[in-house]
Amino acid sequence: MSHLFRKFWAVFAVLGLGFGLAGMLATPTQAASKDNGEFKVGMEAGYAPFNWTQNDSSNGAVKIQGSSEYANGYDVQIAKRIAKALGKTPVVVKTDWDGLPPALTSGKIDAIIAGMSPTPERRKTIDFTNTYYVSNMTIVVRKDGKYANATSLKDFKGAKITGQLSTSDYDAISQIKGVIKEPAMNNFPAMRAAIESGTIDGYASEVPEGSSAEAANPNLKMIHFAKGQGFKTNPDESDLAIGVRKGYEYKAKINEVLAGISQKERTQIMNEAVANQPSTGNTGNWFVSLMQQYGGMLLRGVGMTILLAVVGTLVGFLIGLFVGIIRTIPRPRSTGKRGLLRLFDWLLAVYIEVFRGTPMIVQAAVLYYGSAQALHLSIDRTAAALIIVSINTGAYISEIIRGGITSVDAGQFEAANALGMTHFQMMRKVILPQAVRNSLPAVTNEFIVNIKDTSVLSVISVSELFFSGETIAGQNFQFFHTYLVISGIYLIMTFTISRAFRLIEKHMDGPKNYNVMNNQMQVETPRIGGAPRKDAE
Amino acid sequence: MKDEMILQVQNLHKSFGDHEVLKDINLDVHKGEVLSIIGASGSGKSTLLRNINLLEQPTGGDILFHNQSILSDDFDVTLYRAKVGMVFQSFNLFANLDVLQNVMVGQTTVLKRNPDEAKDHAMELLERVGMAPYVNAKPSQLSGGQQQRVAIARAEAMDPEVLLFDEPTSALDPEMVDEVLNTMSKLAHTGLTMIIVTHEMQFARDVSDIVCFMNDGILAESGTPEQIFEHPQEARTQEFLKRYLSRV
Repeated sequence: MSHLFRKFWAVFAVLGLGFGLAGMLATPTQAASKDNGEFKVGMEAGYAPFNWTQNDSSNGAVKIQGSSEYANGYDVQIAKRIAKALGKTPVVVKTDWDGLPPALTSGKIDAIIAGMSPTPERRKTIDFTNTYYVSNMTIVVRKDGKYANATSLKDFKGAKITGQLSTSDYDAISQIKGVIKEPAMNNFPAMRAAIESGTIDGYASEVPEGSSAEAANPNLKMIHFAKGQGFKTNPDESDLAIGVRKGYEYKAKINEVLAGISQKERTQIMNEAVANQPSTGNTGNWFVSLMQQYGGMLLRGVGMTILLAVVGTLVGFLIGLFVGIIRTIPRPRSTGKRGLLRLFDWLLAVYIEVFRGTPMIVQAAVLYYGSAQALHLSIDRTAAALIIVSINTGAYISEIIRGGITSVDAGQFEAANALGMTHFQMMRKVILPQAVRNSLPAVTNEFIVNIKDTSVLSVISVSELFFSGETIAGQNFQFFHTYLVISGIYLIMTFTISRAFRLIEKHMDGPKNYNVMNNQMQVETPRIGGAPRKDAE
Repeated sequence: MKDEMILQVQNLHKSFGDHEVLKDINLDVHKGEVLSIIGASGSGKSTLLRNINLLEQPTGGDILFHNQSILSDDFDVTLYRAKVGMVFQSFNLFANLDVLQNVMVGQTTVLKRNPDEAKDHAMELLERVGMAPYVNAKPSQLSGGQQQRVAIARAEAMDPEVLLFDEPTSALDPEMVDEVLNTMSKLAHTGLTMIIVTHEMQFARDVSDIVCFMNDGILAESGTPEQIFEHPQEARTQEFLKRYLSRV
């Protein structure tokens, strides 16, 4: 009965948290960011020619916040013009597509310039300026494929087509009669890889994106639709605009700046962007050139991934031990203490249920964007990532340690109690050393999971290994090669960890060839067959 | 002659759910006394011992230690347990610690002795039970008899006022029983107060000052070994002893 009650309350708490979150996201609050002379622009920096990441500041690139890399492209050039007119310094905040709206409403960025179209859904939460690029949709297909010579939407009957998640491009696919609308994908590198691998026949996109895909990858082709045979778009919804917070003070000023950039100038900027986008130096060994060009980026990604996994697992482990100790305290005799312990137990149970029961990607978004929006707290994104990984892992390891404690023989508890040890003495000296040994294989598992699963933290723009890989693949268009290298690096890391922990387990078990008669009270090892000691009688 | 009362069990009841295991137990233990409890399996011997050490919480009655109720809210249970040691049927040596650490850990954590002092004391006791050469061994590397001897040294190391033995030889192979009984006999002669639950009738007869016969949750009869083994008054005692002794 009381057990059921506890479950009920835990579920209730989770629901409460969910509603709270929904409420926070629905009410855009006023600027949390301080006006420090910076114009912070959010973009993926992986959607050439609109925006991409590069290693140096060539061709007027802008530095990416909290990174040694630079962003460039059509969006960046537009952002620079706006910032100049506002008298501010442009700063690029590299953010996942899904992370852009919350980053804006929570004040992490001032504007979204990322090839975004002002759909009615988006207009509910954020505001848009006038158009800064006129949309023209296309479909990108395989050059040697069945749809390469299509000129009309009708030709795509029965084709497997996809588009980017939550974009007007994806919605427009429904205009093709008899199309097989594949589930939406997260980013363009993934879609290009999907075409090459043959899982899809094509993806819907903007013309500039298509032409840069075509230019960078000889296997891809952009369809040129005959007049009136292509997608029908509603300019209000599908032309690209700049997203700003509702009531943003500089909106009118930005519109003024945009009005001052002529169509000719826009085309000029776009042509430059297409020409400047990073291309693959396809000379010599692909592995060597990949490492030469992106070795640093990969190394930084590896560093961040290891930092997150090590700190997360270590702190999570400490949390697990703490929770394990608290939750096994025997019922105290006095009523007051018993009530206190029960409350504490309940809180810990809620903690475990909530953090095990929600995805880490959601927790990260709630902490990073939610805290900025609701509490006006600005947390560093690496700090936020470390906190989330730690408490998330803590929830899992708490249960692992609990299992480890339960599996310790009841006689060990009784013997410790009979010696007069307090609960904490017993845990420290007798139970936890055994429980930890019992839990070690499962903790190793958590560590390995952390190495891999921290990739979801790209939602708050933490550039760990996978995020770096995405960026690289978006630039060099060598999806298979890049992801092969990335998976190799992951495998090396996880394999090293599992071997290292195997050694630790062995060490904890002690030597197998023991000598029980070896008396440590002896100052010296007796010499066998050696010269007699001088002081021997 | 042994007047000072250490432990008094008064009208003790213990039930597990509807099942009443101990029905109104009364027992006085004087300082320096060696008391053996015999009886059939399931008669409540071990439960009585575990209640005395508060490994089980009594459901009725009281237990006094130096005339103080151990069941009152303000009684310091951990301090009491340090003074009342226990030796278990299944040894329960700490699996993560070696022999020496097993005998030292209670001294250093509970009694706060400094490690050198604790080590000297532990070595002295291990020497006495013949386990000094095995100080570095882990419990799993020892035989049952060896483990039990270490467990006795561990309990002794706390310098307890009372030692409780819960069928200390029941889990041992026959050839190891003697080594443990010998150790216990030596201990009995040091004047330590001991309560022993055992099936070793000969041993109980040789070392005890008092022998209690337990049957079906009550203390059926108690007296000197001579009274119990030679002239049992109760029919239940007679029958139990007849069955038990005829086996040998």
